[in-house]
Amino acid sequence: MTKMRKCCRKISLAATSMLVLASVVTMSSSGAEVKFRYVTSLYSDDKNIPLKQPEGVASDGKSLLLVADTGNGRLLRYIFKDGFLEAEIVEIRSPQLFYPVKTEINSRGEIYTLDRKQRSIVRLSSEGEFRGYLNPAGLPSPAAYVPRSFTIDKNDNFYILDILSERVLILDPGGKYVGQIKFPQGYGFFSDIAVDVNGTVLLVDGVNALVFSAAINSAAFSPLTESLKQYVRFPASLTTDDRGRIYLVDRNGGSITILGQDGIFVERQSGLGWKEGQLNYPAQICINAKGEIFVADTRNSRVQIFKVFE
Amino acid sequence: MKSLDFNFKYATLFTVYVVFSLVVVKPAYPEGKFKLRPGAKGKICLKCHETFKQTLKSRYVHPLLKKGKCTGCHVPHTSSHKNLLTADTTKLCYECHKKVLPEKARSAHKVVVEANCNKCHNSHGSNNKFILIKSGNELCFDCHKDISDNIKNVRFKHKSLEKDKGCLNCHNPHASAKSNSLLRNSMPSLCIKCHKTNKSTFRQQHMNYPVAKSDCSSCHNPHGSNKRGMVFDVAHSDVARRKCTTCHQIAPSLKTKQPPSQLCRECHKTMANQTFTKKRVHWPVVDSVSCLHCHGPHATKEQKLLKDPQLQVCGECHADTVELQEASKKNPNNDKLCEPVKTGNCTSCHSPHAADNVLLVNEASISFDICARCHQWETHSTHPIGEKFIDIRDKNLSVTCLSCHRACGTGNNPAMLTFSSTYELCIQCHVERRR
Repeated sequence: MTKMRKCCRKISLAATSMLVLASVVTMSSSGAEVKFRYVTSLYSDDKNIPLKQPEGVASDGKSLLLVADTGNGRLLRYIFKDGFLEAEIVEIRSPQLFYPVKTEINSRGEIYTLDRKQRSIVRLSSEGEFRGYLNPAGLPSPAAYVPRSFTIDKNDNFYILDILSERVLILDPGGKYVGQIKFPQGYGFFSDIAVDVNGTVLLVDGVNALVFSAAINSAAFSPLTESLKQYVRFPASLTTDDRGRIYLVDRNGGSITILGQDGIFVERQSGLGWKEGQLNYPAQICINAKGEIFVADTRNSRVQIFKVFE
Repeated sequence: MKSLDFNFKYATLFTVYVVFSLVVVKPAYPEGKFKLRPGAKGKICLKCHETFKQTLKSRYVHPLLKKGKCTGCHVPHTSSHKNLLTADTTKLCYECHKKVLPEKARSAHKVVVEANCNKCHNSHGSNNKFILIKSGNELCFDCHKDISDNIKNVRFKHKSLEKDKGCLNCHNPHASAKSNSLLRNSMPSLCIKCHKTNKSTFRQQHMNYPVAKSDCSSCHNPHGSNKRGMVFDVAHSDVARRKCTTCHQIAPSLKTKQPPSQLCRECHKTMANQTFTKKRVHWPVVDSVSCLHCHGPHATKEQKLLKDPQLQVCGECHADTVELQEASKKNPNNDKLCEPVKTGNCTSCHSPHAADNVLLVNEASISFDICARCHQWETHSTHPIGEKFIDIRDKNLSVTCLSCHRACGTGNNPAMLTFSSTYELCIQCHVERRR
C-alpha cells in the first residue's frame, strides 16, 4: 500500500513538473501576459497651444520625450520623469521642417525626423537647430530613394525603408552607405521599420498584416508572422522593447498588438475611441527602459502614455 | 456404410437443387431494394409524375432518368432533403460529377462553388446539350447582363462570341485550372491560338513591338468595344494615337524610357505639381510601382484609366475599410446610408493622390466641408456641433459629425454610428444618463 502511494506521488510530481515546464516553455516562446496601465496624456505645449494630429513620438530611453506635432508643423521636447511631466516644454521649429512624422533620437541626443511633405529625413541638433538632411553617401545603383520610414539602432546606424527602390538601406552614423536588404517577394506595402535588441530588422506590411524579419547580417527578409488579420485591421507602425517583444500599432483598429520575439501573438491592448486610454488612428509608438509606452494618438490630437506591467 | 452412401446421395441431390434454384431459376422476390412489383421499375414514378414523360422525350436526358433510376437521386418515401433527394443539393451532383471543380482551380464559377447546378442545368433533361436550361450564350447572358449589354451596344464585337461555342470558346463553364476569369488558358496563349502573332498585319498593328508574350487585356476588351481593334473604350491618348514611343523605347524593345514614378510626370505635370505640393502624398504614388498601383497604362474599362472599378482598386490595400463599407451596405438598419459609402465612391471624400489632411480627406474639416456638402448639419439634429463645443472625452477635439458617426461605414451599427445603439453612443459623453 505504501509502495503504491509512493508510486502515485511520483507520478503526480512528474506530471506537475511537466506542466510547469510546459507553461514555462510556452511563456518563453510567446512571452508573458502583458498589460498596459494608462498613465497620462499630453495635450498641449507650455503656452497651452493644443497638439494637432501628432504622428511622431521618440524617447531617448530615459526622460527625454520628443513629439512630432505634425498638424502644427513643429517638434515639442518634454521631460517625463518618474511618471510626471516637468514644467519646461521646448518648441522646435525650423523653416526646413514642414510636416514632421516619424521621429527618432540617437545616443548623442541628435534629432532625426521624417518630413512627409519633403519626403526627406531632417537632421537637427539636440537643441533643435537645423543641421541639414540625411543624405546617404555612396549609394549603389539605383541611387534614387524615397524614405517611407526609418529607425536608428543602439550604435546610431540608420535603417531607411526605401519604398522607391524596394530595399532597406543601412547607413553608418555618419550617413555613409553600409549595406542594403532587398524587400521580399509578394509583399503588400511596407509602412514601418524597427531594429530589435539583437539587431534583427523588422518590417511591417500593413496590407497583408504581416511582420517580416532579417537577422543581423542577413541578406534577405522572411516572414516572422502569419497574417495577423484576426488581431489587427491595418498595422502601420512598430517598435520593440529591451526583451525583443514587438509592439504593433493598428492604425485603423486603434489598438496595440504585442507579439513575442518569435512573432507569436501575446496580447492586444487599448481600442478605438476618444476617452483617455483609447486610441484613434494612432501612429508612431516608442518605449523606454522603464517600460513606459508613448503613442502618438493622431486623430485624438494627443500623445498617450502607458506603463507596461506583467 | 450403406446408410452413409444413402445420405451422401441425398445430400448431393439437395445441393444441386439449391444451386440450381439460386442460379437458374429467377427468384420470386420483388424488384430491387424497394421491393417493386415486377416490371414496375422505371415506370411506377411516372404514373404520378406525368410531366417527366415529356422530359423523357427531350433530346438530352440525364442518364439515370433514362435508365429509369429515379432512386439514383431521390428516395421514394421520406428524405431530410427537399424534393425527396438522397442528399443535400450542395453535395448530390458532386457525388458523381467530382471532376467539375478541380482541386487546384485558379478560378471557379460562383454557381459551381455554391453547387447551384440547377441554375444552368435541368437535372432531368432538356433539348440543349449537357441538359442546359438554355442554349449557347443566352444562358450565360441571363446572369452576365453587363457583358451582354456591352456586346449589344459596341461597334466592334469579338467574333468568337458569335461562332462555335460562343462564350465557351474562351471560358470554361465550371472552373479553370490555368487562368483567372474561368479562361481556358492564360493570356496570351489563349488569344494567340486564333490571332497569329507572326502575321505581318499583326506586327504592323502593334507597331512592331513584340507583344506576343504580353497580356492582351492590358489594351483590348476581349468582348468588344467601340474602338477599332477592340481597344478598351478608355484609352491612354498616346495609345489611341499609336504613339507608343512616348513611353516605350523604340521597337523591338518593350522597355519604358523611365520608371513609372518618373515617366508619368513627364506629361501629367499639372497633376504632379498639385500632388507634390501637398503635405501628404499617398505613399504608393512615390513607390516603385507608383501610378500603376491604380491606373492601367494603356487602356481600361474605367474612367481615368483606373485599372478596376474604384472600390476594387482602393480595396486592394484597404480591404479592412471596404469590408466595413460592404457590411454597412448589407445592414438593414442602414437604409439612409451615406451615398458615397453606398456607391463605393471613395474619392468623394478622399484625394487619391495627395492632400493636406490626415486620411487624405480633400477638405480641412470633414464635418463642415465634406459632410455638409450633402447633409445640412445645422438641421440634422439639435445636438450642439461645431468648434465652440468641446468633446468632453478629449479637450483637443470639438464635437463634429465624426464624434458620433464613422464616415466609411460601421458594419452592423445603425446610421453609421460608432456604437451599436443610440443609447450606447450618448452615454459616452452623457455618463449621468447611464441606466
